Amino acid sequence: MNPITCRPGGVTVLLTAFLVGPWTVVRESIAVAPSQPNSPEKTGDKAGAASSAPDLPGMPYVYTNWKQYTTKDGLPNDHIFAVKVDGDRVWVGTEDGLACLDKRTNRIQTWGEKQGLPWRAVGAIDVHPKTGDVWLGLFGGGLARFSGGRFDHWHQLNSGLVNDVVYGVCVENDNIWAATTAGASRYNTTNGEWSIFTEKNAPMEEIWNYGCCYADGLLYLGVWGSGVLEYNIERGTWKDYLDPDGEMEIDLYRDDGIVHVITTGVSYVEKTLWVTTYFGASRYDGRHWRGYFAHESGLPSDFNNAVIGRSANEAWFSTDKGLGVLADFPTDTWVTYTKDHKTRKGKAVVQRGKDVLTVIETPPSLPHNYILWVDFDGDDVWVGTSKGLGRAIGRGYYPGLRHSKDALGKDN
Amino acid sequence: MKSKGLMFCMLPGVLVWFGLSLTTLPSAAGDETTNEPDRADQADIERLLEVIDVDPYEVPPLVLKRDHNYARSAVDVEPFRHVTPFREHFLEQMEYTGPGRAIPEPENLETVKIGFIGPIMSTVSVATGGKSHEEALGIAMLRGTQLAVEQANQRGGYLERAIPFELVISNDNGLWGASGNEIIKLAYKDKVWAILGTIDGANSHIAIRVALKAEIVMMNTGDTDPTFIETNIPWVFRCIGDDRQMGYLLVDYLYRKLNYTRIGVIRGSNRYGRFGVREIRDGARRLGHPVILEMAYQVGARDFSLQLERLQASNLEAIVHWGDAVEGALILNQMRAMGMDHPYYACDRCVSDEFLALAGDNAEGVVCGYPWHPARQDEDLELFRRAFRRRFGVEPDTYSAHGYDGMNMLIWAIQTAGLNRAKIRDVLAHRARPHKGVTGVIPFSACLDDLGEVFLARVENGEWEFYSRQDLDIPQGTIAPRDRVSRKTAATGGG
Repeated sequence: MNPITCRPGGVTVLLTAFLVGPWTVVRESIAVAPSQPNSPEKTGDKAGAASSAPDLPGMPYVYTNWKQYTTKDGLPNDHIFAVKVDGDRVWVGTEDGLACLDKRTNRIQTWGEKQGLPWRAVGAIDVHPKTGDVWLGLFGGGLARFSGGRFDHWHQLNSGLVNDVVYGVCVENDNIWAATTAGASRYNTTNGEWSIFTEKNAPMEEIWNYGCCYADGLLYLGVWGSGVLEYNIERGTWKDYLDPDGEMEIDLYRDDGIVHVITTGVSYVEKTLWVTTYFGASRYDGRHWRGYFAHESGLPSDFNNAVIGRSANEAWFSTDKGLGVLADFPTDTWVTYTKDHKTRKGKAVVQRGKDVLTVIETPPSLPHNYILWVDFDGDDVWVGTSKGLGRAIGRGYYPGLRHSKDALGKDN
Repeated sequence: MKSKGLMFCMLPGVLVWFGLSLTTLPSAAGDETTNEPDRADQADIERLLEVIDVDPYEVPPLVLKRDHNYARSAVDVEPFRHVTPFREHFLEQMEYTGPGRAIPEPENLETVKIGFIGPIMSTVSVATGGKSHEEALGIAMLRGTQLAVEQANQRGGYLERAIPFELVISNDNGLWGASGNEIIKLAYKDKVWAILGTIDGANSHIAIRVALKAEIVMMNTGDTDPTFIETNIPWVFRCIGDDRQMGYLLVDYLYRKLNYTRIGVIRGSNRYGRFGVREIRDGARRLGHPVILEMAYQVGARDFSLQLERLQASNLEAIVHWGDAVEGALILNQMRAMGMDHPYYACDRCVSDEFLALAGDNAEGVVCGYPWHPARQDEDLELFRRAFRRRFGVEPDTYSAHGYDGMNMLIWAIQTAGLNRAKIRDVLAHRARPHKGVTGVIPFSACLDDLGEVFLARVENGEWEFYSRQDLDIPQGTIAPRDRVSRKTAATGGG
């Protein structure tokens, strides 16, 4: 499948439109995002001028209005490992404490070991939709539940948690899955039963679990050294996805499967699986694989810490050199967000494949270019970095591309 | 060239040291000190320190190593060599792009802590294939690191503040993942500045994943698993030649020098055996002579008749063993008892006095890969041996020597960079000239693996003799500077 040609009226029209469109933007040039006639109202956020999408024909939505949070705003630590949005609350796991940001009041409440948090480093968070319980994967401290103001703690010496170094946690029905460095554990919250999955009962060539996610009856594990494992909840069966060439030092074919077995993140949404590794990323729609590397896409780096899919066509990649957003899969259109270390301002690069369409300077955006986690909050996006938390405000957000009526001669 | 007696020996006293600060121990190193590691050019170091003095948001413009060929692999043993892969990894050095360089040095330190993690206490572990078997190796490695720390303290400790170094010792030989918990403890509770250790491949992988997230240097001195370094983690270093390098040399010796065509393999069923033999298996296949039969045994087994009967029936010219010394010797003895007179080749773990003692006369002619040349004439090596003998009463082995080198590299990096984990990483990863240790020169590849020369060890008259590729005139395939890019691209079939 050639992604460039999947959307009618795609590239040719778009590039022409760039030259005649309302923005005087040409390829490889830099434009400053202006306030647009139909742009959102000014918010007064410290991120600066509010502007949302550059309303160019065929352009993806570009987040230009950001807010940043650090220890100065009340976070317990700036090294953000995990973020989870739960209604008006945003849970933040850091290297030294848990935080909850109340979006209504903008106040941050924190918990450290003195406040009952079982271990300082919170590496993963999920919220049970039925109970509202907050489940915490503790990086070296096991699994914790925060409920009713109380922390309950499970670790490898008092439970079926297979190891205390928990990298990922996710809710599956009434079960809590923990991806640990020595296998995966599943805790049934209704009967207290634990199940352990290792090389003994799952196709784990290695058992170093990194991430997990659940949707549509399928539980996915990203396993360092063992690719991606899919567990069918109803059938209780496993399926594995490995790099078909089987070699560590190469990826023979880009689109034949996951690009590498050192898997760091998985996200399953709209029947589409997004996978990250320290060597690139992949997308799988159940039939076709597509690999992504930094040298030919908007991925800022091949070193991916995590991925989260917003839809079958949009995914956000947390890398060590910025935030890569595949905004529109069919046209291979990306928006890459980075921070300029000198000016502290942000930059968004829109590109199609490796071709840069435009570069947009923005007010300060990402707190730091080392990105560890992302979570969606309606049209907004929360970004955890190694030096603070960012909130991208998405008023007027639209998925995919928006085509100019003038340029395309039709209204999309 | 005679070896100086490579011994695996375990003193019961080591358990007493567990958890204790070395600064409280009486030094037994005496006035003998080994040479300091080779000092990189001071001007280069000063420039490097200037470059890495950045704010939390800047990534210093460090020159990244670029290798033209991964792991000095000959063209004819590269995977899928007839086409160009879509993407090749490990050719460009990884960067650390986080904010860690801006973290200030802490005040009020009494010691500068460095972590050690290794198998030093016996246990039953799934990770290592049942009852643990690597304590002797871990204790030897620990002693090498202890000696390096003690000598550094004799020279004044951490010179910037005139405070001693302290070795914080952890055991990784527990249940699956024990190493992960121990690294967490070292990084967050003990607040060490760098960590040295791990031997078992599984524990090593677990440890480096934690090191990546906790952002701390992990110097490996005893795990020869090739995949250890093939993870793209910018915090991981290794200062010992790996099974890929030793495997390549053995493959060249077996197939290019001795012209064998029918090789059989017997290996341990643990990760060490499974991954260690991979380059032998792949190399043999790529040279047109696939391994005829590969048999695995349970670690700790004493009866290998099932595996050997099948190997015996396979019309083999030679047998390669990949596993520990005890099993290696027992297999050899059982082979000979069964009338199997096949030449016997093995991995570096069999290069030990224990192997010689168990195998007796059967050991004669056995050839193994080895990551360094312990019998070469070298002043630093002699000083190290003397100091080690005085301190511990035994000869140092390969784990001691590499532990000593690795710890000296860490100490050098801390002395140079100061108390900042990211900068310690930087000076190690970007020093202009490679470290010269007692095990030889240690040049890092782009993925920070030891690309120093490896050797073959052969038993002659009951002792280990060591030979370089040149000594034995072993042919080697072409190592192309960048031949691969001109070949057809796998993904497109085009050029």
